[in-house]
Amino acid sequence: MAKRILIIDDEETIQTVVRFGIRLAAGWEVITASSGSTGIATAQAERPDVILLDVMMPEMDGISTFKILQSHPETEQIPVILLTAKAQAAEQRQFDELGVSGVITKPFNSLNLPEQITKLLYWQ
Amino acid sequence: MVETTSDQRDKTEIDRITAELKRQRQQVALVAEVTLKIRQSLQLQEILRVIVTEVQRILQADRVLIYQVLPDGTGKPISEAVLPDYPAILGMQFPEEVFPTDYQQRYAQGRVRSIADVRDPAAGLADCLIELVEQFAIKAKLIVPILQNLSAQQPTDPAQNQLWGLLIAHQCSQPRLWVEFELELMQQLADQISVALAQSQLLEHLEERVAARTAELQSANQRLQQEISDRMQTEAALRHSEEQLRLITNALPVLIAYINEQQQYSFNNQAYADWLGIAPEQIHGCHLRQIWGEACYRVMQPQVEAVLSGKMVIYENEITTQDGSRRSVNVTYIPHVNPQQQVQGFFALISDISNRKAIERIKDEFISVVSHELRTPLTSLHSALKILTTGRLGILSLDGQQMLEIADENTDRLVRLVNNVLDLQRIESGEVQMEKRACSAAALMMQAVESMQPMANQHGVQLSLAAQSVDHLLWVDSDYIVQALTNLLSNAIKFSAAGSTVWLLAEAEATELLFQVRDQGQGIPDHKLESIFERFQQVDSSDSRRKGGTGLGLAICRKIIERHQGKIWAESVLGQGSTFFFTVPMFRLPAQLPAQIFANLPAKSSANPLKTARQRNG
Repeated sequence: MAKRILIIDDEETIQTVVRFGIRLAAGWEVITASSGSTGIATAQAERPDVILLDVMMPEMDGISTFKILQSHPETEQIPVILLTAKAQAAEQRQFDELGVSGVITKPFNSLNLPEQITKLLYWQ
Repeated sequence: MVETTSDQRDKTEIDRITAELKRQRQQVALVAEVTLKIRQSLQLQEILRVIVTEVQRILQADRVLIYQVLPDGTGKPISEAVLPDYPAILGMQFPEEVFPTDYQQRYAQGRVRSIADVRDPAAGLADCLIELVEQFAIKAKLIVPILQNLSAQQPTDPAQNQLWGLLIAHQCSQPRLWVEFELELMQQLADQISVALAQSQLLEHLEERVAARTAELQSANQRLQQEISDRMQTEAALRHSEEQLRLITNALPVLIAYINEQQQYSFNNQAYADWLGIAPEQIHGCHLRQIWGEACYRVMQPQVEAVLSGKMVIYENEITTQDGSRRSVNVTYIPHVNPQQQVQGFFALISDISNRKAIERIKDEFISVVSHELRTPLTSLHSALKILTTGRLGILSLDGQQMLEIADENTDRLVRLVNNVLDLQRIESGEVQMEKRACSAAALMMQAVESMQPMANQHGVQLSLAAQSVDHLLWVDSDYIVQALTNLLSNAIKFSAAGSTVWLLAEAEATELLFQVRDQGQGIPDHKLESIFERFQQVDSSDSRRKGGTGLGLAICRKIIERHQGKIWAESVLGQGSTFFFTVPMFRLPAQLPAQIFANLPAKSSANPLKTARQRNG
């Protein structure tokens, strides 16, 4: 049941704590990308089980990245969970309408991520 | 001879008749003249003067006078016509003896005395009187009374006659035998004097009446003048105070108005013209809806209805000014209640709070940006420390572990603080909407107790959820009510000693449900019961450090409850414990709603997975 998780975040420290946390808590494999465009390429190449996508990124933000992922047949089936510092009602509704699989707000404890992902994606 | 004698006799007879006729004509003429004078003149003195002069002339008497009898029996001549050869007696005061009372009485009854020779004993004059008349060289005299009728009602009643005076003719040169016509003339003139007296009296009376009436009129006029001047002064004062009021209200940069029961303007200040471009007189009598437009009126209407029911209201609204700019306004309505406790209208005070709102927005934005920007580094810090504390990356020395624990605990606290600050700012600014739905009170209580159970276990505190016989439906945003309940439970647990109990109770009231969170902690002093709901106001400032609180929990609770139109408060007995209460509205099933909405009620938690996820974080 080992999963492969792709984290797309411009903050390297976030990539690191997510990788460490998920590996320690669940032993899942974590691959990382530092921008939307590299993230899309990585997703197409690696076909992860889930993508954790930061919303606020320079150049290409999380929403644009998500839309491109959705437009590619290789990646459109991969569930996407947004990582955001903003969790306002209006934005949450906007995320819901986009069709993301879930939203996890910062600050989070990366050790809890496997449990949260499992719950959001109904993995048993 | 006979003829001659006869002729002579005839001639004498003719002469006598002619003289008689002439005399009679004279008498008639005199009486007519006197009567005319009386009519022409109302001056008694003048009339009396005319009479004495004329009588003296016609009778060829040496002296004619009018003697007035005074009430004490004395008397004096008040008018006199006398030939230059004889002494005048005008104005001389005569003692009573001259004119005894019995004489007066006889004259009053109309007696006339004709004395041909005062020295003739037949005349019956007393010696003292003879001396007196000789003093004034009087040889013969004719006296007629002048009577005054005192009865105004019956002027003809002789019983009411009173002697006013005497009309007297004197012959000084020689004794004189007074003839009938002379007597008659004197009597007629005396009567005319009576008439003149009556007229004069009447005139005097009339003048008195006129004077009295004039005085009355003058005083009435004065009163009226005073009244008019008073009224003018009052009006001027009123105008002045109204002007002052208008000056003040016009100078203020706020909208001030009085609106009547029909929601029409009765008064409004100059600011209306400045803000809306409508002159105050154009607004007068207009309905609120006319002035503010349909959209703005929809916000106003419930507030207007509230103030007209007698409640003071304060609310905020948005208006568009004449230059098209949107302004945020604070509106205060104060009911005008008459002594019979009826609302007659209300006073409206509207102030521009756009600047304050702008500053609030900047503050909100700042808090929002700062708390967002803190989140990413906090995530790294938080996660890294959590990973370190697992010990799977290597075992630290005991001191190292202690340091790590401090870092980890304080990061937790920082995470809570950032979350709370943002929560409070969002609720306060109205950025978040309370998404109200019908939900089960029991389910919310259960959810709150379940999520606080680990903390209770950690503190050795028993959580007691009082079972309700009937579950109640609430009309609330379930996430926020659970947040309020968990905040209160968390506080109660924090301040409870190990082995004590924290209760969560609910009690239905008319339209609200009353929640209670009760503990057996140290209690809260009375003077702190209010302030603990302010941000960063703990009972003891060391509490936040010892208990790991943020000082925002109760402030958030209050904001959540206020957004549900509920109330929150605390009661406490020092050393025995505290109870926190809050009320939220119960769901009232509208008649038109189908009952099946109950079927889809969430049994527990929110149907929104995003919110659930958010709550489990941290």
